[in-house]
Amino acid sequence: MEPSDATAPLSRRKLLGGVSVGLATSSAGCLQYARSLVNRDSPQQVSVTIKTVPADDDEAAVQIARTLQKHMTASGIDAEIELLEASELFRDVLLNQSFDVYVAQFPPHHDPDFLRSALHSRFVTEQGWQNPFGVSDLGLDERLADQRTTTGNDRQRAVASVVESVAEIQPFAMACFPKDITVVRTDRFDNWGTDGLDAPFSYLALERPEDAPNGDPTTLRIVQTDDRITKNLNPIAVEYRRPNPLTDVLYDPLARRYDGDIRPWLATDVTWRRLDDTGVTATVELRDGLSWHDGQALTAADVVFTYRFLDDTSLGTGNMSVPSPRFRDRTSLVESIERLDDRTVRFGFGDTVEAVAARALTVPVLPSHVWEEKTGNTNIAGIDISEGVTQALVWANTEPVGSGPFRVESRTPAERLVLSRFDDHFLVGGGPDRFHVPFERLVVRMAPSDAAAVSLVTDGAVDATGDPVNPRVLDSVAEEGPIAVHVEDSRSFYHVGFNARREPFGNVRFRQAIARLVDAEYVAETVFDGYARPAATPLAGTSWEPPEFRWAESDPVVPFAGTDGELDVSTARNAFREAGYAYDDDGRLLK
Amino acid sequence: MTVPVALLVVVVAVTAALLSVTATAVVGWRRFARLRTEYRSTARAAIPSVAVLAGVLGINSVVREVGVEISWLIGWNITGEIYAIEGNLVPAIQSFAHPWLTTYFSLIYVYGYVFLLTFPLVAYLVLEDMEWFRTTAIAYALNYAIGLVMYLLFIAYGPRNLLPDLTEPLLYTNWPSSQFLVSEVNANTNVFPSLHTSLSVTVIVLAYRTRRVYPRWLPIATLVGGSVVVSTMYLAIHWGLDVLAGIGLGVGSVWLARTYAGADDVDSLAELGSDPFGSLRRAISRLWNAR
Repeated sequence: MEPSDATAPLSRRKLLGGVSVGLATSSAGCLQYARSLVNRDSPQQVSVTIKTVPADDDEAAVQIARTLQKHMTASGIDAEIELLEASELFRDVLLNQSFDVYVAQFPPHHDPDFLRSALHSRFVTEQGWQNPFGVSDLGLDERLADQRTTTGNDRQRAVASVVESVAEIQPFAMACFPKDITVVRTDRFDNWGTDGLDAPFSYLALERPEDAPNGDPTTLRIVQTDDRITKNLNPIAVEYRRPNPLTDVLYDPLARRYDGDIRPWLATDVTWRRLDDTGVTATVELRDGLSWHDGQALTAADVVFTYRFLDDTSLGTGNMSVPSPRFRDRTSLVESIERLDDRTVRFGFGDTVEAVAARALTVPVLPSHVWEEKTGNTNIAGIDISEGVTQALVWANTEPVGSGPFRVESRTPAERLVLSRFDDHFLVGGGPDRFHVPFERLVVRMAPSDAAAVSLVTDGAVDATGDPVNPRVLDSVAEEGPIAVHVEDSRSFYHVGFNARREPFGNVRFRQAIARLVDAEYVAETVFDGYARPAATPLAGTSWEPPEFRWAESDPVVPFAGTDGELDVSTARNAFREAGYAYDDDGRLLK
Repeated sequence: MTVPVALLVVVVAVTAALLSVTATAVVGWRRFARLRTEYRSTARAAIPSVAVLAGVLGINSVVREVGVEISWLIGWNITGEIYAIEGNLVPAIQSFAHPWLTTYFSLIYVYGYVFLLTFPLVAYLVLEDMEWFRTTAIAYALNYAIGLVMYLLFIAYGPRNLLPDLTEPLLYTNWPSSQFLVSEVNANTNVFPSLHTSLSVTVIVLAYRTRRVYPRWLPIATLVGGSVVVSTMYLAIHWGLDVLAGIGLGVGSVWLARTYAGADDVDSLAELGSDPFGSLRRAISRLWNAR
């Protein structure tokens, strides 16, 4: 209903009109009154844009965003969803920090130390998954530092207090840990979904069944919906890498996490020492005769280069340090690195503990002869940073030179990527006995959606889906004959990320009230069809999860403002009122 | 993405079958008989318009790849705005969903559409006057050319991508492999305007204008074309606003083709493509002489 003119509050235009009349006739006191009114911003409705990827890429993310949008609207917020393709979304969120709220999965992690780079205020200006939320809390900072320097029960307690802080601060609202669903054929390759291994790494544990039919036995065929890998193969380009990226089989780290522990990989041996004056050190000895895909020898110099380069991709040539946005949580652990001889490197980690420091060894080693040319500054459209972007961060690296068990054979953007076995790799005829390279080529095809991807598996055109599929497509999959479905717990949780740099998300009470609009239990049951576990903390399901923060039918800190997915509007609105926000007569939430 | 070969073969076979049946009923064999003696002159007359259409399609297929990258740089993301304006129109249409309707609209969206676009080219080719053939080819080319520019300027995802809670991607859940074909032709950010709609409308308008020549074609074109238009929304691929814009583009393309694309213009346009430097030289010398 239109308010009548008599009762309508004065609009700015009317006031300005009044001012011009007033100029001619009125006194200075009246002018001052008009000025103080005109220059005062009237309260406006809270308006939020939720960024996420389209349903073709991640239906669950859009579903979560839709629920949030509906509940925000019911709470009087002007909420809109903006769909972006994955690389654009992560460019906005992780590089340009240009977002209000986003819905996505967090990269998988196994040690709670990942929360340090994700939430410590020291990382607030950095790019990548380094505090994209822009939170700064001195108490949390202290707790994050504590967990890095303690062991045993002390660390358990330190981590528990981190969890408590995170639950209270709500830099992001937790949704759930999904299960990764893979649809496979067992007729050409078997031993899928091996425990303790994530794809694509788990492909190295595949077996060839004895009764395998004829056909090309040397090619493993995978289908993916995420086509970023066909456009960019740069392991440090954070906006192009998904959880468990295929670049993991192109580049080898010194050590890898498998079967629950970090174990030597390019290294044959790692010796840990702890001295009171120098802190924790690790002496790493490389395997003998390692080489890069282009035939050059991989030496200790490459290892030293890698850690210096990831710490500052400009290698001191610019007037500011430009750390790699990926692996920052791990490279930030390294305080010093020194080449002892051609095959030996010594790391200094300072005041920390071995369990945390070992994570630093899991970053991919890069060839110095390729990457040292990429230290120059660059400008590229789409990233609004004029300085502090090196070529290393933006080049597509379409002919990657790594040392991993596979090298790139060919690539057609948005269509396919073909990898071939690197015959000089230590896994070919040796290596840790769980792994071998059971095929000569790995062909990755692209499909427009999960349903289309699964249809290629059931039609026999490919052997498996390469990225997790939405549970909804399982309706069309009959698990019979060679078709099998593998389900595994993912450590990559869905969350609603807030940008604390933008009002009103800088207000912790406002974030808590928004978090209460998400019903993680309902999301897990309906959006994921039960193939997900609602969670209140990012460490849920690990031994680090404090019992009082365990999910018990509702979130222990920010319980859903409603029941069974149905929002109780008055509860939700009261939460905003208690946070200090007001509603106008039309029920709009004002900021 | 590569289209499964089997699907391509089926599409070609079905289209050929539909074409020959309809041609018999609508065109009549007598008109085809004329081609036996006059195929050379007919082909000569058809070449310029075909060249223009092929040129636009060629540019389209090249630009489409880079076009998505360009539109993320310069384009305006209007998905949210479209939904804010039209609300739950598509979910309302989908509330009438029935398995038979889904099968019908799925077949129409893929086979019906291909048939609808190819038939006029065949039917107007056998006419002695090549005017309608030229108009059709040029109107198609305009649809693609204008559509391409709009796709660069506007980024929009269809209802199935924004509203998975309210809509069902009916085509792709029931017939997943068809998505390989559709995504080959269109990126999922290119929904505004609906080219399925605009080209169908173009065919219907042309059928109306040529109703005296082919009286039986008008009802067929209207039924198939109308179904294609509805199917885009029924299958949750397009928004109502995409369809509205598509109708505008379809009608506008025919009008532009009729108004501005005479035989001479098409000849010189085709010439520009085949011999750009020669035609540029001639154009300059014409200007020079006119001075």
